[in-house]
Amino acid sequence: MDSVRPRRRGLVPALFLAALLLYAAWPWLPFSREVATPPTIVFYGFSILADVCQEGIFPAFQKMWAAEGHGPVEFVSSFGGSGTVTNQVILGVPAQVVLLSLESDAERLADAGTIARDSWKRLPQGGVVNLTPFVILVRPGNPLGIRDFSDLTRPGVRIVHPDPMTSGGANWAIVAEYGSGARATPGGPAAGEAMLAGVWTNVVAQAPSARAARTQFENGFGDALITYEQEAVYDRGRGRLDADVAYPQRTILSEHTLVVVDRNIRPRERKLIERFVQYLWSDEAQRIFVKFGFRSATESLNAANPAFGRIFDPFRIADFGGWREARREIVDRIWKQRVMKQDAGR
Amino acid sequence: MSATALKAARRRGGRAALPVGIVLLVLLPLILMPLAAIFVFAFRGGAADFVKVLASPEAQFSLRFSLLIAFATAAINAVLGTFTAYVLSRYRFRGERPLGILVNLPVAIPTVVVGTSLLLLWGPIGLLGRLLEPLGIQPMFAPAGVLLAHLFVTFPYMLGAVKPVLDEIEGTYEEAAYTIGANRWQTFRWVILPALRGGLFSGVLLTFAHSLGEFGATVLVSGNLRLRTQTAPLYIFAQFEAGNVAAANAVAAVLATLSFFIFFFLLRYTVRRGR
Amino acid sequence: MSITLDNVTKRYADQVTVDRVSLEVETGELFVLLGASGSGKSTILRLIAGLVLPDEGVIRLAGRDVTHLAPQKRDVGFVFQNYSIFRHMTVARNIEFGLRIRGVAKAERRERREELLDLVGLGGLGNRYESQLSGGQQQRVALARALAYRPGVLLLDEPFGALDVKIRAQLRQSLKEIQKALGVTTILVTHDQEEAFELGHRIGVVDRGRLLEVDAPDRLYESPRSLYVATFLGAGTVLVGRCRDHRVALGPLTLPIPADVPHDEGDRVRVLIRPEQVALSASEPPRDAPTLGRGQIVEQTFSGAVRRTRVRLPSLTGVRQVSPPLPFGEENVLLDVAVSAHSEPPRENPWVVLEAWHVLRQPTPRLLVCDEGAGLAPALELARFLAEAIDGVVTVLGVAADARRQDALRDALAARAAEAGLPEATVRVRRGDPAEQIAAEQREAPYDFVIVGAGEMESRWGRRQAPRLLGEDLVGRIATPLILARGRPRKPERVLICTAVGEPGKADIRAGGWLARRLGAEATLLHAARPGRKPQPIVQSHLERGVATLRELEVPSRFAVREAESPIEAILAELQEHPHDIVVVGAPPPPPRGFLRGEHVTRQVLRQCGCSVLVVPQGSW
Repeated sequence: MDSVRPRRRGLVPALFLAALLLYAAWPWLPFSREVATPPTIVFYGFSILADVCQEGIFPAFQKMWAAEGHGPVEFVSSFGGSGTVTNQVILGVPAQVVLLSLESDAERLADAGTIARDSWKRLPQGGVVNLTPFVILVRPGNPLGIRDFSDLTRPGVRIVHPDPMTSGGANWAIVAEYGSGARATPGGPAAGEAMLAGVWTNVVAQAPSARAARTQFENGFGDALITYEQEAVYDRGRGRLDADVAYPQRTILSEHTLVVVDRNIRPRERKLIERFVQYLWSDEAQRIFVKFGFRSATESLNAANPAFGRIFDPFRIADFGGWREARREIVDRIWKQRVMKQDAGR
Repeated sequence: MSATALKAARRRGGRAALPVGIVLLVLLPLILMPLAAIFVFAFRGGAADFVKVLASPEAQFSLRFSLLIAFATAAINAVLGTFTAYVLSRYRFRGERPLGILVNLPVAIPTVVVGTSLLLLWGPIGLLGRLLEPLGIQPMFAPAGVLLAHLFVTFPYMLGAVKPVLDEIEGTYEEAAYTIGANRWQTFRWVILPALRGGLFSGVLLTFAHSLGEFGATVLVSGNLRLRTQTAPLYIFAQFEAGNVAAANAVAAVLATLSFFIFFFLLRYTVRRGR
Repeated sequence: MSITLDNVTKRYADQVTVDRVSLEVETGELFVLLGASGSGKSTILRLIAGLVLPDEGVIRLAGRDVTHLAPQKRDVGFVFQNYSIFRHMTVARNIEFGLRIRGVAKAERRERREELLDLVGLGGLGNRYESQLSGGQQQRVALARALAYRPGVLLLDEPFGALDVKIRAQLRQSLKEIQKALGVTTILVTHDQEEAFELGHRIGVVDRGRLLEVDAPDRLYESPRSLYVATFLGAGTVLVGRCRDHRVALGPLTLPIPADVPHDEGDRVRVLIRPEQVALSASEPPRDAPTLGRGQIVEQTFSGAVRRTRVRLPSLTGVRQVSPPLPFGEENVLLDVAVSAHSEPPRENPWVVLEAWHVLRQPTPRLLVCDEGAGLAPALELARFLAEAIDGVVTVLGVAADARRQDALRDALAARAAEAGLPEATVRVRRGDPAEQIAAEQREAPYDFVIVGAGEMESRWGRRQAPRLLGEDLVGRIATPLILARGRPRKPERVLICTAVGEPGKADIRAGGWLARRLGAEATLLHAARPGRKPQPIVQSHLERGVATLRELEVPSRFAVREAESPIEAILAELQEHPHDIVVVGAPPPPPRGFLRGEHVTRQVLRQCGCSVLVVPQGSW
């Protein structure tokens, strides 16, 4: 039987746990370095913004804010699918500035009473911080010869697509697919719907966000991915793009809408937030966006990035009567009611 | 042990090759290889890369934050779970059975549901949160919220580890201490607690390990704020989402190693205690 | 340190576990509480230790009132049945625990511990854990632990219960020596009478929460006062004979009744005969020897020192056997005899000679009367006749709806009892639902009969149900014979025993017969048969045995078989033709909870018979 003293047995795990605790608590211990608490900006953004914000925009703004004589500022940020971010903001995360991938998410925030209706429209460019067209990513060398959305309707092409229920990018992609059919000659709503239906027949995977769809594609799943040009351009710039980009003849320029959540801003932070919002449209910030693969609303700045491909007929959401209309007509009525029903019926 | 018994034991050992082989064969793709994959991908960029990725403030923060939350969860649940187990085991009252079932439910409820219900209760627009907000108290999207979620999710593990041990201690055990002259506290400290030590220890380690790995509820209630409320699993997920598989796997490897040690101690302790 | 209990009562959820126990244990005494399992003896011990608090009464240790004192402050040592050795402590630490709690210095602790280990014979085992000890060693550790801090009182709860016979004997001996050496006041609880006899300076016998008798072992064995003690302690046959001229007649034999046993001419007197007090002889004994005649050997069992022999005695007029119970239908006395194994096995028809015997005191039958308003008068009236007949005492119970009316009700009941010729009746008042409170009262202080009136009571469930008889609510709730008093009060002369109800009951025949005998009434045994169907042989033989039982009780009786569609019709027809004063029916045993449902015959009889009804629950008699 165990004549071992009972105390000894727990010694090693106890030491182990104590060491862990010491490590975990180190930064907060009184004798470790003092952490000053500078003013913070709580920024929520949709998924593809993570790198440009953390590596480009935030440091640049911090430098500028300091240069203007205000001292340090800290960013607290969170990035996820645009729909997820919207839900979090509605549920009350302390987000102060939110960059959404589509305006209809901003409208949802307004509907929930989180922000004032149309408040983003009073910002520069109607709240649109930057743009990026939707393109098709294909496997290196483009083995299937995919050039346009019409090629995606061919049988046997396997498409990875983000889920329109949670992803803003997916909504853009749907409008892009529809528009490329509708704006062709001969076009019209019927051609748009046919294109949409054709593409969705070949969708083999739906990821919760544009970023997750990209990860799936990178892991070798599917033949084609409909995604933001920004991702492709940015990754190619870093030598990390393991795919070819196909520029469709006609595609949509997605517009990314900024909202300011006033109820999460304390009066003393007001000036800082306003300065930051204003900064986002400055030439300096816009150049950073272009550098990271986003297209600026100021067309002249876009020349700075040679990686941008040429699009014969870029269109905007306004061409379909704005997001409210487009969502009702294209996403809800055509995609959800007809295309998905057909799909399910098959 | 007699000679024949020894022989029999060895023979049993010899025959074990087949079942052990089958188990390994099944476990290899199911558990062992995925575990190995974590480490393979973590070190794909070399050890230097691994260290660099781990040294990033965000990775460091998420690990430390996760550990602190795990410590706090384990400590609070040790007290709370022991007390609850004591009450459930020692007192007979109306509704005791339903309560005993209810406190075990968090195990069966999807953690996402836990997160949602916590938000709906404590969130700024939640039932209780609405009342707290004017007071400037906002438990959700803050470390307190993460702690709440973890307490909820891991509570049954503590209870499950302690209560059976308590149930096994007959009531006269305490009464013996009382008649000898020990007051309630002395009885608990010197008679009950030492007898509970094994259960308490495994409960704490289980709670700790579960807290380290908790994702579903945390992602909802934390607000996933970098350097504020991002736990290690959230960091891993965020990095994975962003395509930084190396960073994700580096932290995952650390978590896996920690868990290994925790369960190693757990097993060693409980097996040694086994009669 | 002396121990005094004064009228201590403990209830658990309406169940009385310890009932008005008074006890005095002197300093240095080794007192044994003996009782069957569930008798409440352990609870008495726990009350003394303070592990359980009494509902009523006072407990004193060395004259100090400790009734509400915490166990920690009572200075008692307690050895539990399961020992409850602290598993994570060594034997040494277990023993020292009480001293550590008291802040005794280490050196002193060690010295005391070694002293105790030697005392209980466990020297050198101080470093062991519980799991490394045998059962007997564990028991010794528990004893040493309880003695370590020199408590004034040592309490042992079945300390040898879990051990095998050999070790038990050893430990008993050493406990006896230790107790004597230390002189600590000790109470030991056991169900083992041998243990009680060997250890106890005095023994208290506990039954259903009551401390029946306290005395030295030999006196308790030789001259118990109550039937329970007589039969619980040791074997023996209890016979009832009639008192004639200050002697009790057992057939041809008459035995003197001691002066301290109150008796009247014609009383039934119980005589306890221990097996070793009987001699069986092959030759005719001398004339003056107390002889019960020539018996017939029914059974013999060899059990070491003695040969247990059961002898059927010749028919003894006016003698009834109370214990052990006779097989149903047996009319003669079966006497248990212990014959020395050395002597010759007795012959087939030996002479049975008494060498010694003991005359028991009579228990006083207890009657509980309860009703409200109009129902009370006949109930009190009947109670008076019964009390006279059975020489019983009457308690009148009132149930008040609320506390304010309690006192007024008590006065009113006392007045009415006096009016009805029962001035000595005890009046008790409880609060709540009548049926529930009667059942509770019955549980707390068992009565032999419960008498209620036939007044109807309002249903607890409001007006939707027909009003119910209080009696109806009680059937199925109490396990005591219940009498529903109804009709003109007069001394009952004819008793109708209905065996028609369900299984042919034995209890109803016995209870009805007993009552008839006490009342000097005659009995009719009624069986209801379906028209045109012959009674089954088993019914026939049951009726015959029933009549034999009644004859045995000396009740003039006859039996009647009536053809009717249903038992109630047969009963009503019989009553129509031959009026009776009391109808006796059986009742199913009370269900664990709930009431009699549906139109059970018992209920029909209660509602429809015009006379009083005695309901005998199965197994109550």
